Amino acid sequence: MTAAHDLAAPSVPLLELRRLTVRYGAITALRGVDLSLQQGELVTLLGANGAGKSTTLRAISQLVRASAGSIHWRGADLAGRRPEATVKLGIGHCPEGRRVLARQSVASNLELGAWLRRDKAGIAADLERCYQLFPRLAERQRQLAGSLSGGEQQMLAIARSLMARPSLLLLDEPSLGLAPKLVAEVMGTLAELHRDGLTMLLVEQNANAALAIADRGLVLEAGAVRLAGTAQELLANAELRASYLGDGEGSGP
Amino acid sequence: MDLIQLLLNGLSLGAVYALFALGYTLVFSVLGVINFSHGAVFTLGAYFTYLLIGGQAGANGLLAGLQLPFALPFALALPLAGLASALVALLIERVAFRPLRRRGADSLLALISSLGAGVILVNLIQLLMGAESYAIPIGTLGALPAALSLGGAQVRTVQVLLLAISVLLLVVLSVWLEGSRSGKALQAVSEDPVTAQLLGIDSDAMIRLAFGISGFLAGVSGGLVGLSVSIAGPYFGISYGLKALGVLVLGGLGSVPGAMLGGLIIGLAEAFVPAAWSGWKDAVAYGFLFLILVLRPQGLLGKPQTTKV
Repeated sequence: MTAAHDLAAPSVPLLELRRLTVRYGAITALRGVDLSLQQGELVTLLGANGAGKSTTLRAISQLVRASAGSIHWRGADLAGRRPEATVKLGIGHCPEGRRVLARQSVASNLELGAWLRRDKAGIAADLERCYQLFPRLAERQRQLAGSLSGGEQQMLAIARSLMARPSLLLLDEPSLGLAPKLVAEVMGTLAELHRDGLTMLLVEQNANAALAIADRGLVLEAGAVRLAGTAQELLANAELRASYLGDGEGSGP
Repeated sequence: MDLIQLLLNGLSLGAVYALFALGYTLVFSVLGVINFSHGAVFTLGAYFTYLLIGGQAGANGLLAGLQLPFALPFALALPLAGLASALVALLIERVAFRPLRRRGADSLLALISSLGAGVILVNLIQLLMGAESYAIPIGTLGALPAALSLGGAQVRTVQVLLLAISVLLLVVLSVWLEGSRSGKALQAVSEDPVTAQLLGIDSDAMIRLAFGISGFLAGVSGGLVGLSVSIAGPYFGISYGLKALGVLVLGGLGSVPGAMLGGLIIGLAEAFVPAAWSGWKDAVAYGFLFLILVLRPQGLLGKPQTTKV
């Protein structure tokens, strides 16, 4: 249990998925997933390709509709809201594949991250903070986002979601396609944001890196929760070690 | 004819094509569909301008003999006609585009429904105003002389005005798109609608904005052409619409500078066709289009995908 849990012991979780089911036509991507997130927690969602990790995030952001089950944000049902509305409620989503606006500058990408905010001074301060967090973005402010390297684009994507000042940040595979050194850098930044109190739901295939910074983790398999526990428990779990942590006999992720 | 007048003809014609094509581009960039009602909104803009300056409806339409109780100067009538055209474009978005978008229909269907909206609009104009042509009298410009002396050559004031207003609008639009928050948000919707949603950008609002601006541009260019060469009946927007479509493809679909460059090339190419061969004007314009598309299928400034994997 994390400190935040004991401290506030809130009756209503920040985010709660109850029996969430999502179907794409004949394919069922999620089968009754339960998940709840308390303020300040960093929870990681692990699993192989196609296990339903991204679908979970897309359902929370209302990019896909739940076929059954519910998603509650601070106790209120999110069903029927538009994706833009979830951003307004404080749910930030840093999508898979970075999705930076390649034809716009780094500075414009960050500016659009704060699209729903009107507090000029606050936006300027957060921009400054983003540049401190990612000094390389500061050097490349005027460059087109499409000209950045993969690692820089990932940093831009994270920084851009922070510009909305979210209460919860959904991160979809931020380590994907990055060199090991950059993975460590990105994870270090997420750990820093966690220490500052940001609540995060981190989807990862790199289970080692994710569990190193997470409080808790869930392992999805074929759209259902296979395992759940604290980061320490999952790191010690033999089954998980064999299939996801890369030290089993020839069965990589 | 002298070179300066010829050059000015080409430039002003090109600028009108560019304005027209930009209207297509704005809507195309957010929806990925060519709005075929755009030419009808252009025509409507010309009629609005004609009525607002105090013009009288001819004898053949339902509105025969109608005249507004006031006559505005052109400088006021033109922007008002632009605004009225913008409202019509918004209405078209509401009835011909949004219902299909809500149902996730194929974009080809939106193209057909926009074509239908355009045809209805043109027929409505014919019903109300008749098929006759109307001229916007030069007197509506007030004290401006009919011709100006430019670099020793005599040029028509109307051409200079056409060029100046078009260039002004093109500059304002470019600055807005590149420099303002809402301009950047519109570009974001154009580049990646899903990401735009995740940034909290309301894509419906941006689509309405694109339609509004595009309608305004169509209305203003309609009024300007009406002033320059008269309104040759309710179908006169069609040839301009097709030409602007050519301009759009020539410059590269969805590219704002491309639309401007394409307009300039087609305008100049047409203007430099000798008067004796004026029947060949369209052939020259479309010949250029054909040639460039053979050499560069994505258009002059059309961009291949730049997204990094």
